[in-house]
Amino acid sequence: MSIQFKSILELREMLDTKVISSEELIQETFQLASRFKSLNCFVTMNEEASIQKAAQIDQSGNSKSTLSGIPLGQKDLFCTEGLRTTCSSKMLFNFIPPYSATAVTNLESAGSITIGKTNMDEFAMGSSNETSYFGNVHNPWKKGFVPGGSSGGSAAAVAAGIIPAATGTDTGGSIRQPAAHCGITGIKPTYGRVSRWGMIAFASSLDQAGPLARTAEDCAILLNIMSGHDPKDTTSLDVENNDLTQSLNNSLKGLKFGIVKEFNLGDLDSEVQKRFESSKALYESLGAEFMEISLPNISASVPTYYSIAPAECSSNLSRFDGIKFGHRTEHPKDLTDLYIKSRSEGFGDEVKRRILIGTYALSAGYYDAYYKKAQQVRRLIKNDFENAFNSVDLIMTPTSPSTAFGFGTKGSQNPVELYLEDLFTISANLAGLPAISIPHGTVNSLPVGLQLIGNFLREDQILNAAHLFQKNSEFHLMKPNMEDFE
Amino acid sequence: MDQEIVRTICYLARLEIDEDKAQKIEKDLETIIELIGGLGSIDTTNIEPLYSPLEKTALKHEDILNSDNQKEKFLQNAPHSNDDYFLVPRFVE
Repeated sequence: MSIQFKSILELREMLDTKVISSEELIQETFQLASRFKSLNCFVTMNEEASIQKAAQIDQSGNSKSTLSGIPLGQKDLFCTEGLRTTCSSKMLFNFIPPYSATAVTNLESAGSITIGKTNMDEFAMGSSNETSYFGNVHNPWKKGFVPGGSSGGSAAAVAAGIIPAATGTDTGGSIRQPAAHCGITGIKPTYGRVSRWGMIAFASSLDQAGPLARTAEDCAILLNIMSGHDPKDTTSLDVENNDLTQSLNNSLKGLKFGIVKEFNLGDLDSEVQKRFESSKALYESLGAEFMEISLPNISASVPTYYSIAPAECSSNLSRFDGIKFGHRTEHPKDLTDLYIKSRSEGFGDEVKRRILIGTYALSAGYYDAYYKKAQQVRRLIKNDFENAFNSVDLIMTPTSPSTAFGFGTKGSQNPVELYLEDLFTISANLAGLPAISIPHGTVNSLPVGLQLIGNFLREDQILNAAHLFQKNSEFHLMKPNMEDFE
Repeated sequence: MDQEIVRTICYLARLEIDEDKAQKIEKDLETIIELIGGLGSIDTTNIEPLYSPLEKTALKHEDILNSDNQKEKFLQNAPHSNDDYFLVPRFVE
């Protein structure tokens, strides 16, 4: 029986009933990764250590944890002790972390096996996975098309059925948008739910880690393990983490869904609109109620984000100076030249662009007009959400304004064109709210995603709604035809 | 945005831009700044900036040593090092 396209729970069943051993599962996973190498979804493989861990699991016969022996991919932004971590940048081409990220340690301690590091936009800056130093990742649904970004390698590897799940990070939509473009499920938790310790920082007040998987149920299982207070991350929430799998089957009767008036869904592609209306009808049939809500400042979320995120990025990425780790230039004239040349050779164009924007927004004379102003508007956006959640439980939007697009067709002339890809996803990061993307059909043979935004710490509600949607539809079972990638 | 401002920002960020890309970067920055500048029309009088969605300052903890000295591990990632130090080229005679 093939392991391709299997969910975590399906693989668990195969392991428990001895249809396959852990070692066989891992070996088959590497065979699949090698067969579909042309997708370019992995930067570094971890074959020897993975097979060794699987053999140990087989020997010990210990499968008490759901994740025991389950192969996972880790976005190449999570530090993994002893395993190269590049952030898909030339800057970290040879970086071997001396420790692992807390989220990775949590998953590995539960028995999962890190089979490799997934490709991504360089330092997570991008919405199409076209900024990686290691080359573009293909969308498994169509060769030459983007998988979305920045967690594009994770999304493509799961959509191709190589691994049942992978980690991602989401600063402005980087889990949800690639999940939508690749036809899988991905959740960005509440800010502070998952520790950021050991995640290479892009924009610290927006970054949040989460899983990408084939089902909402698998996402709940993974998020249970990834979450938890971590004293090593000063923004980690010290709250009770209820078992998210317990509420998956709660009735949706009377649950109130908000549709955002300002998003003007009528402007979207008519097929995307049709999908949205049809999903709304499905939820209504499950007992959900819909009402229109207003988020008056929502149209400001893209410019707000593109002031705050680059500002935080310019500060975070100042650590890459060529001295203690990362790329160093050869033959510098003096110390300043060493910094300038090391950084200019190590970073790609999009990363440089964002550092420059952030430096400008934070510089004397512009700080109030750009950075402080954006943080004030951010509060208005958060207030809008607080008001909305007084009358609804969830907010439903499309995940992305369009389906996946061809390499090089967006943003090369005008970067703002690509930034607008994040229109529906960015506001949840600004307000720190949890949000999930689930597949809800295809348009022109490419997947489209539906986004559910929840109130602060209400991952249980969005996972519940996502799970019942998947129990009553088959969109999450759609598989791409992989012939072009063999 | 002009070449002079771009040069200043580049220096502040310790970056240099290839000559052939300078004009494109200048245009891109102008476009993005124009996008961000649109926020100017929103009334934010008496609105406190929201620097983090959690609105809490960083937690403090006791300054207790809780891990071993991992000097060798950290030095392994340095572009140049000896047994004890990160090494940089000599610039001062």
